[in-house]
Amino acid sequence: MIRSQLQINEDSHIAMRKPHAVVVTGLGMVTSIGTGRDEFWNSLLAGRCGFGPVRSFDTSRYPVHVGGEIADFNPHNFVFNLDAGLIGRSSQLAIAAARLALADGTLTVSNTNRDRFSVCLGTTSGEPHFIEHFDDDYVKGNLLQVGNGFLHGYPCHVIATNVATEFDLSGEVVMIPTACAAGNYAIAHACDLLHADKTDFVLAGGADSFSRITYTGFARLGAIAPELCQPFDRERKGMIPAEGAAILLLERKEQALSRGANIYCEIAGYGLTCDAHHMTAAHPEGKGAARAMKIALQESNIAPQEVDYISAHGTGTVTNDRLETIAVKRAFGDHAYKIPMSSIKSMLGHTMGAASAIQAVVCALAIAESKIPPTMHLYNRDPECDLDYVPNVARQCQVKVAMNNAYAFGGNNSSLVLTQPRGLER
Amino acid sequence: MRRRVAITGAGVISSLASSPSELHAALCEQRSGFRAIEEFASQGFGLRPGGNLALFQAERYLPGKSLRPLDRTGRLVAAAAALALENSGLNQEALASEEVGLVLGTMFSSMHTIGQFDRRALVEGPSCASPLDFANTVINSGAGQTAIWHKLRGINSTISTGATSGLMALSYAVDLISYGTQNAILVGGADEFCFESFCGLERAGLLKHRYIEEDCSIPFHSRRNGLALTEASALLMLEEWESALARDATILGEVRGHANAYDSRYQMEGYGANAMVRAMRAALAEGGLFAPEVDFISASANGSRLADKNEALAIKAVFNGHALGSPIVAIKSMIGETLGASGVVQAIDAIESLRTGTLPGIAGLDNADPELPALDLCTKTRNLQARSGLINSVGFDGQACSLLICTP
Repeated sequence: MIRSQLQINEDSHIAMRKPHAVVVTGLGMVTSIGTGRDEFWNSLLAGRCGFGPVRSFDTSRYPVHVGGEIADFNPHNFVFNLDAGLIGRSSQLAIAAARLALADGTLTVSNTNRDRFSVCLGTTSGEPHFIEHFDDDYVKGNLLQVGNGFLHGYPCHVIATNVATEFDLSGEVVMIPTACAAGNYAIAHACDLLHADKTDFVLAGGADSFSRITYTGFARLGAIAPELCQPFDRERKGMIPAEGAAILLLERKEQALSRGANIYCEIAGYGLTCDAHHMTAAHPEGKGAARAMKIALQESNIAPQEVDYISAHGTGTVTNDRLETIAVKRAFGDHAYKIPMSSIKSMLGHTMGAASAIQAVVCALAIAESKIPPTMHLYNRDPECDLDYVPNVARQCQVKVAMNNAYAFGGNNSSLVLTQPRGLER
Repeated sequence: MRRRVAITGAGVISSLASSPSELHAALCEQRSGFRAIEEFASQGFGLRPGGNLALFQAERYLPGKSLRPLDRTGRLVAAAAALALENSGLNQEALASEEVGLVLGTMFSSMHTIGQFDRRALVEGPSCASPLDFANTVINSGAGQTAIWHKLRGINSTISTGATSGLMALSYAVDLISYGTQNAILVGGADEFCFESFCGLERAGLLKHRYIEEDCSIPFHSRRNGLALTEASALLMLEEWESALARDATILGEVRGHANAYDSRYQMEGYGANAMVRAMRAALAEGGLFAPEVDFISASANGSRLADKNEALAIKAVFNGHALGSPIVAIKSMIGETLGASGVVQAIDAIESLRTGTLPGIAGLDNADPELPALDLCTKTRNLQARSGLINSVGFDGQACSLLICTP
């Protein structure tokens, strides 16, 4: 047997280096089916959908016309300190989600916590409207009209810096643009910052605004469903691009307890892997995705049988849902059939870099509220998708452990394990 | 309970050289990696110093497979990755072990592909948009394509914090090893030179200077008035210390500490140095070094009026009188501003400085800005047996990152 040069050091167990518990104490989200925790959660449990005709650009030359835009978002309700007109829509959505998360977590930013207050967000496209306007100017020959707003508005890290500036935070401010799994990557990094005691609070999550570029690409791939997103259904016709933002307030458990914060759940561990197989297609055997799930469980010290709920990536494309099912079976074996697994993309569409952050919020609420949102429009299960997808009706059941799965272009696989706060009486 | 992190490999693609030792030699000879950017004159832009790597040929580094799926960013990253992997001496079995991760820092990533994809759909219609280009419109395409090319199946992540992205990516990877389960991560930064980024920086006034003698992009110079935009790709192999020793790897250096900070008030008088001061102090504290023990500082300075001044003030504040004892190098005087790659290029040159005992001088710095605090600016290449170097990276909008590298 060939021995790898890289050996695991048995003596340096992970628990020694991650001695803290990281907990979620605030939730904020802006979505097409509701803004703020209660409105969003009630819509989700009721199976409400956020799809409609695309309004932000002309789709007459496209074969599809439906999208998941947030129709009634008014940035002026949330952006107070920055000029809302100068920042992009992803930043506006992120600031709104952050404001809601801070309010939900009953936390005020002050001179005493500012330098140890971080922002860590994920995105797929950053602020795409800036490059889209640039391209409009380019094709019209108006390039000299491009102003300094392009540099200060476009690069994706500005979403995180805009949040930090709006709330006057000055800890680590970082963007992790790992496409459609980015929210999970951001939350994972936030946990590491807290474990390493490099920060005291993190606003972690993801944001993406509805993008012509993204829509064009998925339309070109033939991946957009004409009307409904139907994950795991035999008749499923694809995903529906959407927009949104979700931010979770994370802190160490000792801190949360000492300030009397409401604790939704603990983030117990994560697994991140890469297929290194294809930019846009998942590995046909779901190996990388299964490996991410296994690593996440190991790091969390949780047995596969303990998982009560899986928040699925579940985009609604023919390939994703089939391969995701294979990957879950590969990771959980026969127990896969006993775990409820639903896709909120059936209601929200695919909110890109925000998607896994919104899913993480769902996991937190599932744990706190003992309810699981449904997979909507699942009328005829695909024979190759034979797990319990919680079809069409929300379910009441205790969730002690939830797994949050997300996958992305680039072959990125991510799994997060969220649990009831361990060692606390509920 | 932090695990030590060893640097066991380095690869760089830059305007001056395509190996760490050649790069360092070129910098010590104070060679310039700029040319006049003439290609955008027809679109109404004046001449500026900087430019792309006109001679870069990806097939030289990446033989055997079709390069078509990779855009320029992807090719630059995959090429530097090939060099760093080779330099690390990791064997095929180790690479196939699913244990090697990849982390890339980038400011604009594939912005050029994103723009081209969108413009083609605008002009020719959405049905003519290219699916091949679409795959590269995600900001993590460079990391994704490079992982596919080199079959790297460990953690794969992309970090964006603007011009500090490269050094932030290094910091992120160091922590994944120090506090996590990762044992080997290929990590670095890249940004391609393209019309879109040139236009963005030009319109924002960051490239203010013209391509004439009177203007300059020399760090800390009294006449500096803007940066020179170039491109590069740079990667390091980081390994958990014991694991590197166990395989008899050549250890090039150790990352002893790092930190970063943000301050939105960077443009306000009196606040500009704040983030950099906090980042440097925390990096030194993590590394267990006092300021006087730092043998040299690799500055982020790139010829910008405000950023260079803020950094000089920050160094003065942190080194509190000792700054005259710690020489400051600023390699952007020669290699230009490479955005996401810049901090990693600085790190690679710092490793070479530690190895060779030479510090590159700041080319052209004949007239240091008298408004800046007195610092030991390394104007001429000098010999110095250094054991530690502090690398700074400063963003355009309040980001700051510092990383401490020591001899093994």
